[in-house]
Amino acid sequence: MARLNIGADDLVDNPTPRVPVSLCLDTSSSMSGPPIQELVRGVNLFYDAIDEDDDAHDSAEINIVEFNSSTGLVHDFASIERLRRISALTASGTTAMGAGVNLALDTLENRKATYSGSGVLYYQPWLVLMTDGAPTDNIDSAVRRVVDLVEAKKLTVFPIGIGGGADMKTLARFSPNRPPLRLDGLKFKEFFEWLSRSVARVSRSTPGDTVKLDLEGLAGWAEL
Amino acid sequence: MLNALEYQLIDPVEFLQPNRRLFIDTNVFMDTDARRAGGLKRLFERGQSAIIANGNPVVVPTKVVGELTKQSRIHPSGETMERAEAIKKAGATLTFLESASKAGLVRKDLGDDTNPYADDLFLKLFERFAGTYEMCLLTHDITIKLRIRLLAHRLAKRLLVGVLTKDGDLEVESDESLFERGFRKYKRHATCIAEGSGSFKDESEVAVLKPLLDDFGKAFGLKEPATNLGPRAVKSPSSPEPRRSAVASTPTNSFSAQARLKPSDTPVAFSALPKQGDHVTWASADRSGSLVLGALLGEGGEGTVYDADLSTVVKIFDKDHLTRHRKEKIELLVDRNLRAKGLCIPSAVVRNGNGEFVGYVMPKASGREFQRTVFNKRKFEREFPSWKKADLVDICISFLEKVQYLHSMNVILGDINPKNLMVDEKKNVFIIDADSWQLEGYPCPVGTPMFASPAMLGKTYSDVLRTMEDELFAVATMLFMIVMTGQFPYIRTGTDGDMVQLIKEGNFAFQYENRNNKDQPDGDWKYMWSHIHKPVKDLFWHTFHREGKHYKKRPTAAEWLEAFKAYKSYLGNKRMNFDPMSNDVYPIRNKAFKQDTPIRDCPTCGRQNAIAGIWIDDTQEHSLPRQCNKCRDQQPGRAAAAPTITVPCRDCSRPFPKSQLKYGRCPSCAQKHDERQARANTLDPSRLCVRCQKPFITYGNVEWHQRNGRSVPTTHRAGSGGRYPAGCVPTLPRTPRTGPTASTTKPSAQTQVGFWARLRKWFTGN
Repeated sequence: MARLNIGADDLVDNPTPRVPVSLCLDTSSSMSGPPIQELVRGVNLFYDAIDEDDDAHDSAEINIVEFNSSTGLVHDFASIERLRRISALTASGTTAMGAGVNLALDTLENRKATYSGSGVLYYQPWLVLMTDGAPTDNIDSAVRRVVDLVEAKKLTVFPIGIGGGADMKTLARFSPNRPPLRLDGLKFKEFFEWLSRSVARVSRSTPGDTVKLDLEGLAGWAEL
Repeated sequence: MLNALEYQLIDPVEFLQPNRRLFIDTNVFMDTDARRAGGLKRLFERGQSAIIANGNPVVVPTKVVGELTKQSRIHPSGETMERAEAIKKAGATLTFLESASKAGLVRKDLGDDTNPYADDLFLKLFERFAGTYEMCLLTHDITIKLRIRLLAHRLAKRLLVGVLTKDGDLEVESDESLFERGFRKYKRHATCIAEGSGSFKDESEVAVLKPLLDDFGKAFGLKEPATNLGPRAVKSPSSPEPRRSAVASTPTNSFSAQARLKPSDTPVAFSALPKQGDHVTWASADRSGSLVLGALLGEGGEGTVYDADLSTVVKIFDKDHLTRHRKEKIELLVDRNLRAKGLCIPSAVVRNGNGEFVGYVMPKASGREFQRTVFNKRKFEREFPSWKKADLVDICISFLEKVQYLHSMNVILGDINPKNLMVDEKKNVFIIDADSWQLEGYPCPVGTPMFASPAMLGKTYSDVLRTMEDELFAVATMLFMIVMTGQFPYIRTGTDGDMVQLIKEGNFAFQYENRNNKDQPDGDWKYMWSHIHKPVKDLFWHTFHREGKHYKKRPTAAEWLEAFKAYKSYLGNKRMNFDPMSNDVYPIRNKAFKQDTPIRDCPTCGRQNAIAGIWIDDTQEHSLPRQCNKCRDQQPGRAAAAPTITVPCRDCSRPFPKSQLKYGRCPSCAQKHDERQARANTLDPSRLCVRCQKPFITYGNVEWHQRNGRSVPTTHRAGSGGRYPAGCVPTLPRTPRTGPTASTTKPSAQTQVGFWARLRKWFTGN
């Protein structure tokens, strides 16, 4: 219990406005082998980059939701100091993307409620959705929730297709404002570097500001 | 302190704190200068309560009293009008001192008579007690002023010399101004001697002043002033209209106070932007030259900063920020040739090889941004682990002195934010980003929403001129965030992260007086707020809360400065600042209520002073929690729950969580109490009115009479308006004392004689 409490102190002792980022990752069987290894490496690199950035360090809070035949929380939101690097993710089963996105949205809602209840300022959350295939469950309700939030400016979403097999049409449904990105080969490293720079950029702004994403920085690892 | 200032004004109350002493010399009492008339009276009016509260009267040494007595005993006949006036004044002063001493405002029993001169006595006193008190002597004598200033410098202590303004402020001259005046005095006496009309007095003054000025000049690095000093080269600060401010006169070279907004900014043409190692030329107000851009120090949103030399850096704008506004603004600032410590004001315009404007030279700032130091607990504890609250208050004072100087120059900083302010380990504050300041109608084109006043929200920064009220909102927010190490004033629970909305609402949630505090943020912020010095807290609340009296008319830099200086002296005053935890940057409990509140270390974790008694009204004693807030929060099962305060029930004394209590009573006692209340309001059927034979008195009323040893009434009494219940009116109505009913009642033989009538009778005898 004491440990939990230290976590709570950490939440309220830091007056920096937070950016909650949910990584919603496809761990279906098609991801096994090099893709999942590169993904794990990319996520850890993302953590390192956030840790090293003076501003993002205090504001970013990250969780990971994985989806395959079902969905689950790999780890809940925590500041970068409390985040252990992930050792491995297991790829198996089908692609319950609808359930995965719904869980990610639930965790973001909960986190916002925690901020609000404790008196912590925050930026509207980010959802990073990564998949190499097509959903095997119904995604309609997840799509509706995402679109509503994005249109109300309560969510920034980054749908990312991994490799040629990713269903870009489905990903496009999750992104009303900009087309989804297709990762060039397995360039997770480049993507996560860009993502950490973007988080840092937001944490240097003030909640409510419109922050321009560095779209030029996408060049080299993604095709629009 | 800003070098540019000729003198500063200090609130006399500052020198009436227990660790300070204020002295008055004879010549202040004998002063007849109309510009300072009434100053002494104001001094005592303003200082009265502080003197009494701190038991620290103003000191008028025996020697001064002696000199006044000597003056007053001279027989005025045969003296000039002026002398006669002085004799009268000395006598009046003695009378005043006598009554002020009786009232505890003045202490005149201090000093011995071994020193033939009061001057030497002051010097001796100041030297002797410099380690114990900060002291200030009010005197018009330039020689003693120089001697004490030099002593203060030698001992590195705060020993001030000054005079009084008509508002009762202590006016303390700058070293330069003092030196110049000393020099003038020396010249005057030296001229008399040179012209052959020198007296013994001239000789002795010259003998004292010559070496004194020599030492003074060396100590403060001052050169002999230009030979032909006018009669008053230094404008007397005691101008006819003294400002009610803590520092600074209005500088003579300030910018326009009412400039109109300039037409929109446009880019300026340039051929190339210099980089590290490139030659550039510079031109200040009076000199020019060239330099090579040194190491790249940093890249910001508007340009790049390069090393120039030991004390200066060069900022080269990037292509998007080379604009006409910036160019003209920088030229204006460079022209003024302003120098003030901690302000990185452009000192020279920088041009590239083709003579095109590309940037400017400015003094180098030291330290790190507020954002990376005081605004975050983790970083703060890493950067300045030994800092106390007083150090944060010093930061506020340093920041405010600079802001006040800029405001007196009609410069609005505009984009006040934790990245434009830097602080080093010696608590020096530096204000950077001068090219964004608003002056002469050139707007400040950037801003930070957290510091935007409600009126600025939604406006385009580059299209409007900020008002002083907008600026003062940012100043207040910055001060709050320094004292609260980065916490935003409008933080509260139940927000959706929309900062603009929070500023608009003006719902300042920190606990203030008896207001509801349910929206205070979790964590130790409320404790931090609780320990802030009350006058500063008052200013914050009234500035930020929409119902506050400064919500629309915000405190000026001078008003804040006064409050923060008082905060500083409060922290240094052991008697007033009775709770040791008030010195901590991160307190873990509320401030102890009173001086006699018991304060203990936590027996569980050993944290010092972590427990303070909670006063219980009913038991009339303090209840001491068994452990500190931190230990209590870590108890198993408590982790997630909100901190619960257990308080004994006022009736049965068993401990209960505060939330369960009803007016201090536990649920079962509260129910009993309600029943007792109900019975107390019921008529006692056993007692009947002797007049109408009906129940007329409640159980509660009977008990009250018995408890107070009074006889219980036997009849209905007149209710409000002197009316009796129907059916129970006394047969002989008394005449009501006053009121319109009097005319309706027939006067009877028993009518009482009124007070005025008796008085008239007493006077006239019938």
